[in-house]
Amino acid sequence: MALQLSPELRQRFQQLKQRYPSLRSALIPMLLYAQDEIGYVSDDLISYLAEELNLRRVQVEETVLYYSMLRRKPAGRFHLQVCTNVACLLRGAKPILEHVRQRCGGPPKTPTPDGIFSFEEVECLGACTGAPAMQVNYDYYENLTVPQVEQLMTQLRAGKKPAPVPHISGVQFQPHPAEVRVISRRFGLPDSTSLDTYLKHDGYQALDKALKQMTPEQIIEEVKRSNLRGRGGAGFPAGMKWSFVPKDTSKPKYIIANADESEPGTCKDRPLMELDPHQLIEGMLIAGRAVNAHQGFIYVRGEYRYVLEILERAVTEAYERAYLGKNILGSGFDFDLVVHTGAGAYECGEESALMESLEGKRGYPRIRPPFPAVVGLYGCPTVINNVETLSSVPSIILKGGEWYANLGTPKNGGTRLFCISGHVNRPGLYELPMGFPLRRMIEEVAGGMRNGKKCKAVIPGGSSVPVLTADQLDTPMDFDSVAKAGSMLGSGGVMVMDEDTCMVEVAQRIMHFYAHESCGWCIPCREGTTWLRKMLDRFHAGGRVEDIRQIGELARNMLGKTFCPLGDAAAMPTISIVDKFRDEFEEHLRSGECPSARSPAGVAH
Amino acid sequence: MGDEQKTVPLSVDGRSIEAPPGTLLIEACKSVGIEVPSFCYYPGLSLQAACRMCLVEIEKTPKLQTACTVIVQPGMVVRTSTPQVHAARKAMLEFLLTNHPLDCPVCDKGGECELQDMVFRYGAAESRFAEEKEHQPEQRFSSVVYFDYPRCILCFRCVRVCDEAMDVKALGVGQRGVRSTIIPNRPDGTLECEECGMCIDICPVGALTSHQYRYKTRPWEMKYVGTPCAHCGDGCKTTLNIRNNQILRGNNRDKTGINGEFLCIKGRYGGDFVHHPERLRQPLVRRHGRLEPATWEEGLDLVAHRLKEITVSAGPDRIGFLGSNRTTNEENYLLQRFARTVIGTNNIDHHRTADYAALVAALGGDTTAFAASGDLARTAAILLIGSDPTHNHPLLAYNIRAAGRLHDARLYVINAREIKLRRQADRFVQVPAGQEAAAVEALLGAAPDLPPDARQELDKVRAALEKESDVIVLFGAEMWGRGVKRLVEFGQKLAGKTRYIALGDYANSRGAADMGVLPDLLPGYGPLTDATLRKKWEQLWNSSLPATPGLNARQMFEPGRLRGLYVVGANPVKTFKLAHTRDGLGAPELLVVQELFLTETAQLADVVLPAASAYEKDGTLTNTCGELQRLRRPLEPVGARSDFEILRLLSYALGKPIPWRTPEAAFEEIRQQVPGYQVSLASLLVGEATRTAPGDGRHADKAAETSPGLIFSSDDSLFTSGTLGRFSEMLNSVPERKLPRSQL
Repeated sequence: MALQLSPELRQRFQQLKQRYPSLRSALIPMLLYAQDEIGYVSDDLISYLAEELNLRRVQVEETVLYYSMLRRKPAGRFHLQVCTNVACLLRGAKPILEHVRQRCGGPPKTPTPDGIFSFEEVECLGACTGAPAMQVNYDYYENLTVPQVEQLMTQLRAGKKPAPVPHISGVQFQPHPAEVRVISRRFGLPDSTSLDTYLKHDGYQALDKALKQMTPEQIIEEVKRSNLRGRGGAGFPAGMKWSFVPKDTSKPKYIIANADESEPGTCKDRPLMELDPHQLIEGMLIAGRAVNAHQGFIYVRGEYRYVLEILERAVTEAYERAYLGKNILGSGFDFDLVVHTGAGAYECGEESALMESLEGKRGYPRIRPPFPAVVGLYGCPTVINNVETLSSVPSIILKGGEWYANLGTPKNGGTRLFCISGHVNRPGLYELPMGFPLRRMIEEVAGGMRNGKKCKAVIPGGSSVPVLTADQLDTPMDFDSVAKAGSMLGSGGVMVMDEDTCMVEVAQRIMHFYAHESCGWCIPCREGTTWLRKMLDRFHAGGRVEDIRQIGELARNMLGKTFCPLGDAAAMPTISIVDKFRDEFEEHLRSGECPSARSPAGVAH
Repeated sequence: MGDEQKTVPLSVDGRSIEAPPGTLLIEACKSVGIEVPSFCYYPGLSLQAACRMCLVEIEKTPKLQTACTVIVQPGMVVRTSTPQVHAARKAMLEFLLTNHPLDCPVCDKGGECELQDMVFRYGAAESRFAEEKEHQPEQRFSSVVYFDYPRCILCFRCVRVCDEAMDVKALGVGQRGVRSTIIPNRPDGTLECEECGMCIDICPVGALTSHQYRYKTRPWEMKYVGTPCAHCGDGCKTTLNIRNNQILRGNNRDKTGINGEFLCIKGRYGGDFVHHPERLRQPLVRRHGRLEPATWEEGLDLVAHRLKEITVSAGPDRIGFLGSNRTTNEENYLLQRFARTVIGTNNIDHHRTADYAALVAALGGDTTAFAASGDLARTAAILLIGSDPTHNHPLLAYNIRAAGRLHDARLYVINAREIKLRRQADRFVQVPAGQEAAAVEALLGAAPDLPPDARQELDKVRAALEKESDVIVLFGAEMWGRGVKRLVEFGQKLAGKTRYIALGDYANSRGAADMGVLPDLLPGYGPLTDATLRKKWEQLWNSSLPATPGLNARQMFEPGRLRGLYVVGANPVKTFKLAHTRDGLGAPELLVVQELFLTETAQLADVVLPAASAYEKDGTLTNTCGELQRLRRPLEPVGARSDFEILRLLSYALGKPIPWRTPEAAFEEIRQQVPGYQVSLASLLVGEATRTAPGDGRHADKAAETSPGLIFSSDDSLFTSGTLGRFSEMLNSVPERKLPRSQL
């Protein structure tokens, strides 16, 4: 059967083929948009795209099979994607998944006989402050209960699609008094995504200053002075990163905004893009000026489709008003910006894997050195920063690095948009100064523990970091202090767990995530995560004495030996949970089942 | 290479060692005998750093580092054998074995498996894995390649070799994480590729196995004989794996020989023609119009009797000999001596697939201008005119690709077809078929009648070539006679040293020409008309030589020219596209054929003498680049005799015995007498290739005299190989054989 594609899609393909320095970069967006139209990635589509992009068929297939959002078989008209990762798990995702599973019948990713539904258990959707959450196709539904899910399905079946959330739940339009709003200060403004609103609230003034009053060196100096550290998780000083880009090269240079937000527990880039896209664009323009780059890419995780559309509208508006394109603000500086969609892969948040993905390939990390600043996208010098990092840049330029640095603690400049999720009364996104104490964050800002329970543990920076225990709540939340406490500030995803939480189950769910997201490149991560996943599954249902020690040992065998940080990310929380909550593992052995399964206040409730 | 680069001093396991700058640590360790284990690291392929087996300690670096990606630095202090390193290796192996099936007792790889060896050496013999293994059933990727998913350790060697070295990219990686798997390129889960088997032999474990070999035997039950491949003109060394006088597979795992580990499907699996049920096992004699089995005595007597009869009644020049481009040098040398002295005619020729004689003549005695296959790795630029090396010369194509990929050589391609190597070309000029020689004229600045864009491109090629420090020119059968002469004139105008490879089809095309299986040239391309030269051979062979050049191949098939046609290892009916009747061959009253199979020509013969294959006899072959190699006789012939033996017996029966008892004796004379074959025996005896350099250039003026229609290629594909290929089950089994070439 010949491939049937709409004229609109074909036209979009032509645009996509033109907008990248390399033809192959158009592959993933083309696949995803075609799947949106025809339901899945068919053999014919693969052959067609191979020809369109001058690739071999198997190269297209390799890419398709890597990304979890790309399907080789049709799904239902409404594909229900239930997140069960830690933040959602803590707030009742399991009964929702169970309900959806029963209502759909049949195996996952398979259409119901009437073709209306299919379901899938998915990894963190970036809706942690609105947990539990579910995506229906690209629409987000948050703070769900089983009856709500039932109602949603009924309405969908009746052809009445309920409105999805307009933006992420938990975003604060009325700031908490403790908040210091720098990057979130435009949240809640009417029509906050429009260029006019942005201009009315300091928009593009930093760019004007950077272009007309500062040299590229001065921009980099200002950012260095601000002590802005990478908000993606690693905390590398941003100004330093920019300064590594070689000046004497004939190659083009690129700026990438890493918007592949997928660290479980993290949902801060989503509001920064959906509520204030121009702030990010301005940050990228300034970064471009600083390193003399003229092309930028925003790599948005595929699940954030509506966010991508907001960004695309903002980019279009910026082009129309000459904030992008040629001779920006009459300065002679040119900058082009492309918004690019991923297709479902946590690993693509790793900077070198992201570049592979942006080049249309499987998201495998690259050997480093060389680092992206020297050899990055298309082999050219590339600055890649997290969305939050880049969004912080306009304020730093406008108000000065020193001002920004002083908001935080030494070597930890500015503020962070913390995503507080889990067993608190007010899960939400709060912009707090660096070094803000964790205890106040939970008890004051997030409204304290839910149902008056005690806090048992906190994952302070996304699921990749070692867990902190209740006696570590006085840790100031900046990179160095959290490191001193034996964990990492990471991505700012703070997941709070109360006394009823089964830590074995948390460890199990975390390992499920890393096993699912391991790219398969290196042995220790590929085999280690799956071995640990299987062990923890078995252990949670009843394990052996030697398992407890072995879980820790296997995690340590991965630690520091994997190709990229994903192996460490899987090992570190596991080691910490086994070490710090050994008694819970032993309790599982003694009782032969999960103790919290007996308790009505268990994890799932 | 004038100024010597300083080496980098470093310390490994307490030893002070040195390595050239830019050396990978794993190679530096290897160079001093320190083994750092690895699965994914493979010299010549891109780096993976995926298996993590080569983790070592480097002082002042907190984490263990992969020795396969670290470049040696001065003063670096490395430890490869600490408890931490050992623990890491053991941990990696333990991880690997979790999903490995441990079916070693039934695995083809058992006994030659790198994983097995590593576990033996580095531990992890005890498994703590108590979970369910990932499993998927075995897949048949093609009639050559089988894939066993559970055994795969995902080192990606197969994927890389297929993509980077072969430029086929038929294998990819599907899924991700622990479910990652090797995928073939067709939607139905099968392969469409060159079926070269590189992926199988590069696989460190038993994940990829060959149909030919699987479940047949164990590695230690076979004998291994490295011998030149019987098929194309590239002369790869294939190590035949033999059990009970049966070839079970070919490979070249020890990477010796001119081809390293490279082999195409013919070299790996195409040796099976020797075991084909239709192999001739006893002489056939035509009785009452039908070919019937006969004894060797009957066959040889009949041939001798009839040859004598024609010689006496009609003269020796009514007999003609068509030699072979796949019999040995010794056999060719013997055949031309037989024709010239025992019968007394120069009517001897063969299917010429490249104009070696024109090249030798054009070079005018310059014996340094022949390039060997390995020289492609040491040249600044390559000019390829005509031929389709991907199909006709798989090793040279492999080397051409490697020259660009690993050594930054430029490639310029002039061809009538869009051959696959255009993909590697810096410039590709497509000219109308038959206009290759005109393209050379254009390179020389003449103004032939070529399409304007081709002319423009050729101007660019010339300008580019003029800037190259040295060039190797490869040319196919499209270039012959005067065309070759003009090509060499162009080459001589270039700034640096220009060397040449004439691309001929079969295992000993070059040897046939070198040995004088030609109507006008004596061994070593000496002109027959040169009385002094003739005298040398007459004294040597103690016999007079006919002085006038004989009939060439095409003339021999003209009606009524010959009364007796003697064919050795050739099938002119098919090759020269003759009518499949005796009339098609010029209606000789006697037709004798020495052959492995009952070919179209043999079917017409009066006597068919079953010949041994290159895998069943002694002797030497000269590949198309002039590299000489010794056959190692891996098998014993059953029923057949070597062409050497047949001709020698005939010489006795005809009363003019040629006294060489063995091919070695003939070779000794070749070594002493044939210009260019004064090679050292040492390398030949240990199985290496040694260069020959024929031609004393004394007949340069005759070069342009090659008659039209004599030089032409059979244009075999990767899956055909003249007569031999028709009887290879493996070559016939692959579906790609039937596909248009452009698809591969």
